[in-house]
Amino acid sequence: MEYVVQAEKLVKTYGEGHNRVEVLKGLDLAVRPGELFAIMGPSGSGKTTLLNILGLVIEPTEGRLRLGGEDIYNGKRRDLQRLRRERIGFIFQFANLIPFLTARENVLLPLELIGVRGRQAVQKGMELLDYLEVADRAEHLPEQLSGGERQRVAIARALANEPRVILADEPTASLDSERGLSVMRLLRKLSSERGTAILVVTHDTRMIGEVDRVIRLIDGQVVDEVTESTAPSEQPVIQH
Amino acid sequence: MNLALKDINYHRFKFFSSVAGVSQLLMVVLAIGGIIRGVIYDSAIIITETGADLWVVEKGTLGPFAELSRMPEDYYHAIEVIPGVVEASPLVMAWEHVVRPPRPTPLMKFMYRNAVLGTKTMVEPGWMDVPMEQRFVVIGSKPGRIGGPPRIIAGRGIEADNYEIVADAKAGFQLGERVRLGYHDYTVVGLTNNMVGLTADPVIYTTLKEAQQILFRPDPDLLRDRRRRFQQQFAQAATIAPRLADGLAYQASTVAEDTHFINAIAVKLEPGTSPDAVAQEIGRWKRLEVYTAPQQVNLQLMGSNRLILLQLSLFRVVLVLIAGIIIGLIIYTFTLDKVKEIAVLKLLGTPGRRIYGMIFQQAILMGVLGTLLGGALELAIEPFFPRRVEATYGDIGQMLVAMTVVAVLASVLAVRRAMKVDAQSVLGT
Repeated sequence: MEYVVQAEKLVKTYGEGHNRVEVLKGLDLAVRPGELFAIMGPSGSGKTTLLNILGLVIEPTEGRLRLGGEDIYNGKRRDLQRLRRERIGFIFQFANLIPFLTARENVLLPLELIGVRGRQAVQKGMELLDYLEVADRAEHLPEQLSGGERQRVAIARALANEPRVILADEPTASLDSERGLSVMRLLRKLSSERGTAILVVTHDTRMIGEVDRVIRLIDGQVVDEVTESTAPSEQPVIQH
Repeated sequence: MNLALKDINYHRFKFFSSVAGVSQLLMVVLAIGGIIRGVIYDSAIIITETGADLWVVEKGTLGPFAELSRMPEDYYHAIEVIPGVVEASPLVMAWEHVVRPPRPTPLMKFMYRNAVLGTKTMVEPGWMDVPMEQRFVVIGSKPGRIGGPPRIIAGRGIEADNYEIVADAKAGFQLGERVRLGYHDYTVVGLTNNMVGLTADPVIYTTLKEAQQILFRPDPDLLRDRRRRFQQQFAQAATIAPRLADGLAYQASTVAEDTHFINAIAVKLEPGTSPDAVAQEIGRWKRLEVYTAPQQVNLQLMGSNRLILLQLSLFRVVLVLIAGIIIGLIIYTFTLDKVKEIAVLKLLGTPGRRIYGMIFQQAILMGVLGTLLGGALELAIEPFFPRRVEATYGDIGQMLVAMTVVAVLASVLAVRRAMKVDAQSVLGT
């Protein structure tokens, strides 16, 4: 089966000698296209490190990482920045929109970075904002948007470069439960309609019912994996 | 989309208030440049406007502007016959003054009030009450020859000895006004524009003969004393030839009253004639020193004005450096405010050159806008300076180039900070 993201025996250590800390200990992970995948775990479990490795921000100490079937660290020197802007979308806890750009310009930025400009870019940007139901806020600055609107614009930005995978870092943490659920359902819709794999790092157990698969990390290792079919319908799958 | 401009638009008050601050500093830098040019211009204006190629002065002296030079009036005839010389004009020039009622400037008044209030200032109470002695440079020349009043903006020139003067407008005289100079009253018949000496004293033009009267005529008490002494010296001769002694005493007294001196001879050469060759020819003559016009200007600039020009120039350099440091610090704080956005941009895969370019562009824009605004402010305030301040568009252009370089250098610190921003700082927070 083809995986969008495939990590094998990922190890990440920081420091040396007595100060050496192993954050990820041979972690395996595989995400299919269109899958909504949640990563949970307590603080210090290695979620952020994993997200940084999957986002090509930091390199693993050992192990293999494939993105869209391409081996990223196979000895060849790759332009990780370029891979990031072409293949990955990011959604953050606080939207992290660029404050001096309007909603439309925030969505256009990733397009411009991959060379899509002019009318084509504007049209695509507006389509995305329309798809996320914030087209009427296109010319507003982030500070003029509500938290939910900001997160929708951030999702539109993450989709702009048509990534095969979106990494979402606590996308509902700054929202109330109703808006959080709405965002999760939106991500669910995106993954199923667009075939984009979405990896969500979250502490929010209420959202688990919306995802296809959940892994739980403790001390850099996957201790539990639950798929939609194995999860009880009303109860949270994993609790801290 | 230009991130630098978008960010500036978003933080426009902060950015433009910073630009306003920088522009005021650069206004001072440009004004100092204007003051330096003003000093240079004032030092050269009489020489350049006279149009003389050579200045002939007393042997061993530096010329009429930098040192006292005296020589007989008739010398100019001998110079006029030298091949290549078109005209040799005898000139008299020296400082003279008139006493006028106090006319303090608003700044002086302000400082005076400070002094009255007990604040330490450069002006002491009482200085303001002293009648103002207005100094002039009096230049006398033969009508129709070089050295007469140029740049007449009102009235007329002087055609003959008639107790008339042409004064520079800066002196504050009106046409038709009577001015007491020496022992006579002179009528102002014309006004010139910006004709001042190297100390910025306005120039008064009159005829050679009248200038000699104003500047060289001895004090009447001194003359009376001299006549008495001559008569005593010739007293013995009076016992032998009374009528001869009286005549001799009178002649001696007349010699003492003689004012037929000049300070310089302005020489105009035929086109194509080498000034150095003619200067050499005149130099061979007895007791004369010859300077070309550029040498005369240089003597003034490198003489009495040298240190003040160097001082101002150094101060100007220091201010440019300070402007650079200020721009650097402003851009650095701007960058600190954007650390999170820079991290997001990096995470989205924005090339470094675009992020650092944003910082450079903002620094350069601040330098350029600061210079243009500073230049405009400087040009606006120039007329209010008591002395000539003359910044040019060329100065502003040079400052633009300098500030662009300074801004780029100043933003290096901010760029270094931006380079240290880690993209992973936005994940997991």
